[in-house]
Amino acid sequence: MEATSGRSWRRRVGDWFDERFDVRIPLEAFLKKPVPKHAIRWYFCLGGITFALFLIQGVTGILLSLYYRPTPGEAYESILFIMNNVRFGWLIRSIHSWSATLMIAFCLAHMLRVFFTGSYKNPRELNWVAGTFLLLLTLAFGFTGYLLPWDQKALWGSTVGSEILGIIPGIGPWLLGLLRGGADITGLTLTRFYGIHMLVLPVLVVVFLAIHFVIIRRQGISGPL
Amino acid sequence: MDDPVKPADDVARDQAVSRRGLFKYVLLGFSALATAGGVLTPIIAYLWPPKQASAAGGARVDVADAEDLPVGKGEVYSVANKPVIVVHTPDGYKALSATCTHLGCIVFWNEQREVIACPCHEAYFNTNGAVISGPPTAPLEEYRVQVEGDKIYVEGGNG
Repeated sequence: MEATSGRSWRRRVGDWFDERFDVRIPLEAFLKKPVPKHAIRWYFCLGGITFALFLIQGVTGILLSLYYRPTPGEAYESILFIMNNVRFGWLIRSIHSWSATLMIAFCLAHMLRVFFTGSYKNPRELNWVAGTFLLLLTLAFGFTGYLLPWDQKALWGSTVGSEILGIIPGIGPWLLGLLRGGADITGLTLTRFYGIHMLVLPVLVVVFLAIHFVIIRRQGISGPL
Repeated sequence: MDDPVKPADDVARDQAVSRRGLFKYVLLGFSALATAGGVLTPIIAYLWPPKQASAAGGARVDVADAEDLPVGKGEVYSVANKPVIVVHTPDGYKALSATCTHLGCIVFWNEQREVIACPCHEAYFNTNGAVISGPPTAPLEEYRVQVEGDKIYVEGGNG
């Protein structure tokens, strides 16, 4: 049974990589962490669920981008096309919309769990900070995505939402113009939000998720109450 | 390697799948397949290009005013999202697919030489769509063209 042919294929693939890159021991040290007993609770799954929702958003978002057109003349029309003509378009768009709402909800629920189990305390303060950035990025995802359907709700929602930025003393009006790409919500705002939603935020979220995950692996889950 | 040699029956039994193992594999396999199918079916169907209303064939399209296309002139028009070249020959109007049968470039009317030319690989067609010279092996497909009053109509999507 010890002969080469007797090893399972997974073992053999692992050996092949280990022989070349010498990665088994460092990888196992990083990946094989048993979950402590006190953490086997449903409310310790909230962060993982948020991450799963983010992956769903990635897949459905890429699919939507195949049919969506970010111009004032065509945006709403392309949404109708996705909903009415594309096979399962209604499903993909609805999953994207529902997962967006749920992702924010689970993000907040995860934050509450971390707060009430005191997991944010020394030595995990910086992971709380990274998580706060992830919450803000998730909200930014929601805010920029809200405009993209380019219907009345989107236009006025974004008008009111961005107006809040203009209240900041001094630099408010300047920031507002920067966000909107002009004095009002126009086609320039649409392409701006589209670019932020599709390119800027995904990169930032992946970076902060990597930080979040590396820290939790390094420090482990916080102890029982 | 140090094990004593086993009878062939025992070796076969060791390697055989147990009853419990079989159930495990069948149930797990079925669950995995069903999940993959449930997720992948909508995604693949979504990627499949949907029918576009504007691409529907058979419609009669008003392409131009007759006075815009005097004898000896030819022009490419869009008919049901496909390029169609209409040439006004001394014998009347001719409408042909403007997509070269070689590699799909859009042909144009060469007024001086009175041929339909493809700019990509120097192919030439006559006004019946037949190949005069160049790489294409098939003629340009013909469309029905009618003149009513001062309007030129092309019937799209007959191919």
